[in-house]
Order: sequence, then structure tokens, then C-alpha cells
Amino acid sequence: MKSYLHLLEGLTVQRVLWVTAICAAATATVIWLFLNTYFDLFVTALCVGYTSMLMFTVAGNIRQTRMPREAMQVLAVVVGSVLGTIFAGFVKGRDISQMFTERLAGVAISMGLGIGFGCIIVAAMILREKHARDQARIAKAEAERHQLEKNVLEAQLQLMQAQVEPHFLFNTLANVQHLVETDAASATRVLESLIQYLRAALPQMREGATNLGREVDMARAFLEIHRVRMGSRLAFDIEVPDDLKCRAFPPMMLISLVENAIKHGVDPCCESGMITIRAREDEGRLRVSVTDTGEGVKPKQGGGVGLTNIRERLKALYGSSARLVMEENAPRGVVASIEVPATS
Amino acid sequence: MGFTAVIADDEPLLRANLRTRLAKLWPELAVVHEMENGRGIEEVIAAHEPDLFFLDIHMPGVNGLEAARAVAGRAHVVFVTAFDQYAVEAFERGAIDYVLKPFNEERLGVTVERLRERLEMKPASVDALVEQLAGRLGARPAEHLRWIKASVGSNVRLIPVEEVLFFQSDEKYTRVVTCDSEVLIRKPIKELLDELDPAKFWQIHRATIVNVDHIASVRRGLKDQAEIALRDNRETLVVSRAFTHLFKQM
Repeated sequence: MKSYLHLLEGLTVQRVLWVTAICAAATATVIWLFLNTYFDLFVTALCVGYTSMLMFTVAGNIRQTRMPREAMQVLAVVVGSVLGTIFAGFVKGRDISQMFTERLAGVAISMGLGIGFGCIIVAAMILREKHARDQARIAKAEAERHQLEKNVLEAQLQLMQAQVEPHFLFNTLANVQHLVETDAASATRVLESLIQYLRAALPQMREGATNLGREVDMARAFLEIHRVRMGSRLAFDIEVPDDLKCRAFPPMMLISLVENAIKHGVDPCCESGMITIRAREDEGRLRVSVTDTGEGVKPKQGGGVGLTNIRERLKALYGSSARLVMEENAPRGVVASIEVPATS
Repeated sequence: MGFTAVIADDEPLLRANLRTRLAKLWPELAVVHEMENGRGIEEVIAAHEPDLFFLDIHMPGVNGLEAARAVAGRAHVVFVTAFDQYAVEAFERGAIDYVLKPFNEERLGVTVERLRERLEMKPASVDALVEQLAGRLGARPAEHLRWIKASVGSNVRLIPVEEVLFFQSDEKYTRVVTCDSEVLIRKPIKELLDELDPAKFWQIHRATIVNVDHIASVRRGLKDQAEIALRDNRETLVVSRAFTHLFKQM
């Protein structure tokens, strides 16, 4: 039984009171058509009204897809009016068989009135529900817009907080410390790369807008530093056409992919690895990819928070018109690509 | 008699750096071997019987902590790290030797002095400290499925499980639905269920696993079932009677 309770959802005291009030008003409106007393007619009206209300409520809560909910509710009112009139007969102790013979005219009128009033009320309720639904939809759209704004802010905040990893910084300096004594020329090169990288990576140094060229330069500096650190284990190549370098591209995403390629791709596998950065434009879309020949993803090892951050920021910046796609590289490693609408 | 040491660091320049500095500060110490990571440390101990290990904490493959565990008191251990606040705090408390990169000659001198005295003694156990650090550094997260591999054309797409809204079996394939794509894989629901993180992925139907992070709302459906609406997707998912208890109000 408990499982059918939901059919009565919406049958509130408020609704019952409304129906009672409407019945009283309706009775007053049509009393001149009848010979009955007001009270007698009111009882009939209440029987019809309550039965219709019950049917209407149930019809609205039945989960089915064959016919529209509104049609079900109108049908419910019609059936409810018929049943309600018969019910009224019972209540008043009338002979039911007579209702369909000599008293048919009166019964038909009360049924018709029930149906008429019922339909008007149903129409009003449907309009009200529609209004409520519209309101809810507006509220939801509003909430979504707020959420999106919040996401954009969060993405910006994340970007501001994206720090230069101390471990990376000190390791690089330790390399420089050694190179200064053994190979001064290399030491200078590493320092230059480090300066270039820091200029782009330190939040305080970062300029608001950036383009693909600048992001690629930063990635190159980053790769140069790692090449010194990892020796022969790391090689890299950058295939970015000059005419794409002025294209707008969100900051710190390419470097994040490169960092991933080193950290999860080349670094864990002990032989040498190759990292390639490519960019191309295709039908108004800019596709920038980082390919590594490293270890590839292990099904049970996470890719770090970097990828999630990129996805969230892409969504906040471009909605559904940008994406990050990860694919396996043949014969080994990973291709990570970011696709954004091409704008300069 | 002279002591022997082994240096383990994945970066060749940094091994060379430490070696040069040690040669200056402690000429009697012989660096008998160098390692790129902790792999094969048993063989190194057997072959060289070193008195001392300099272990970089962050190394790919077998890291410094795992290597120290393998040493298990058979030699003294000095940790080397570029930056790790937790580690440094732990070392300070545990009075274990450590060196920070880039090296500070004076500080390295202090470590060398301390080591000269201690090498005569039995190596202290670093187990407790290593355990503590391994926990702090999150060495081993739970082994759950993190990536879905799916063939798309001639490529293999890699989808992080966090992106997946739901899995649904579709005759002999399993549909993997994300907010911007849909792919088919061969791995059946039952196998996925064993491998996915049960805190994030709930079975809601014989044929469906949902990512709870992407659920927008749950409402009552036909009979004793429930229906799930998702964020970023129009499809509704049916929760069959056997699984509705998952969504009962607390």
C-alpha cells in the first residue's frame, strides 16, 4: 500500500480548502437553475468536486508516457464528475436506478456543470503549474549562470595560485651549482632558460593575455631545463608553424601537458623519451598537442590534478567549444591535445 | 680505515655534484657506486657492502624511501632532497641526516662531521621515519581503475574515470558516456565494478554504473524504482528496486 502513497502527492489541505470554496461559489452561481436547496446542491457539488480532485491528483501522479499529463487530468475530471454525481446520489440516499431514468436531466446538468467547472479549474491549475515550472527553469538557468561565473573565477584563482614547484626550482639550481664549476657555458644556458620560464610562470610576472607563441616559448624553456637535468633520457621537438604563434591560447595549459609528459611519461621509464609539441589549425579550430614516447598511462594510476584543472578551465573559458583529448601514441606513450576555437 | 658510500640520484649532474663536494670535504670517503634509483639495491649491498647511502627521496622507479626500507639498518642512510617541507620536519625530529639541494658547503660539512662520528656505531633504524614519510608523501594511493581505454577509429582514446558520467551495458559492449563523448568498450559492467573506486562509482541497475559526482538529482520513478538526472547530460538513468536503498534519505 505504501508504494501507492505517492499517487496522492500534492493533495494538500490547501487544495481541499480551495475545492471546498470553489464548490460553495459554484453552488451559489448556479442555484437558480435548480429547485434544490442550497445545502442539497452544495453536498452534490462537494461530492463531484472531491471525487474530481482525487482523480485529478492521481492522474497527475501516475507515471506513464502514453498520453500527455494534461489530457489525463481532463479525463480524470470528466470521470470524476460522473462518479461524483453518482456518489452524491448515494450520500443523499437517492435511488441510484432512478438517476438514469426520470431524474436523468438533473443528473446530466450537475454532471455537466461538474465537468465545466472542473475543466476551468484544471486549465487554471495547468497554467499555474506551467508558470511554476517556468519559474523553476529560470531559477535553474540563473543558478547555472552563477555556477559558471564561479567556475571562471575559480579557474582564474587556480591560475594565480599555480606556483612554480619549489622542488623543480631547487633541483634546477642544484644543477646550475654544479655546472658553474664544470661547464660554465651550460650553466649560463640553463640559467637563461630558467629566467625565461620564471618570467612566464610566476603569477606576478604573468601578463593577462597570452598567445600560443609565448606559451610555446615557455614550454621550450621548461624542456631545455629538464634536458639538462635528465641528460640523454630526454629529447624534444617543437613543430609549431610561425603563423599560428599569434593565436590566442589560454595560459599555463601547454606547460601543464608538457610537465605531465615528463612526470608521468618519460621520467618513470628509464630509457630515453621524446616529447613533441605540435600545433595546427583546422576549420577554425586550433589544435595543440603534446606527444610523448614514454610509459603511457597505467589503467590504475592517476594523471594528476593538472588534467582536471585544464578541463575545468577550458569549460569555464569556452563552454563546450573546447576540449582536452587524451590518446595513446603508437607505439608507446600518450598524445594529449587541446582544441580551442581559433582566434587571434 | 676509509669508509665507503653509494650515491643514488636520478640526475647524473647532481650525483656528480655531490661526489665532487664530498671529495673535497671528506677525502677518505670512497664513493664506490652510483645508482639512478633504488632498483637493485640488494645487489649493490651484496657487492659493495657500503657503510653509507646517500638517497635522493624523489626518484622514478624505486624512490629513496623504498630504498631506505630495503637497506634496513645494514648501512647508514642520508637522505638528499631538493625541497620537501614534511621530510625536513621529520628529519629534524628524528635526528636523521639529510642534505638539501642545492648543497650548502657549510651545512654539508656539519653532516660530514656527524657522519664521521656515527659511522663507528651501528646504523640507526630509519623504519619508523620512513613509514611516517611514506604516509605523508602519499606513496601508495588505493589501486582503483583511473583510465578507460577505448578504441575510437584507429586511435585509442584515454578517458580519466572522473570524466565518465555512467557506464551502461549494451548487449556485448559497455557504453562509456562522458559529458562530451560516448564510446564503447568491451569490458563488462561486472568487471568494471570490481576495479572502479566504490566510493565514487555506484551500481544502480544490473546494467548501469553511475559516477555519483555527476548526479544532479534523484527522484521516484515507476513502481519501486528511482530515476537519476545527471549534470551535463539529458539522459535519465533508472535505479532498479534492488539499488534504491542507496538513495534512501539518511
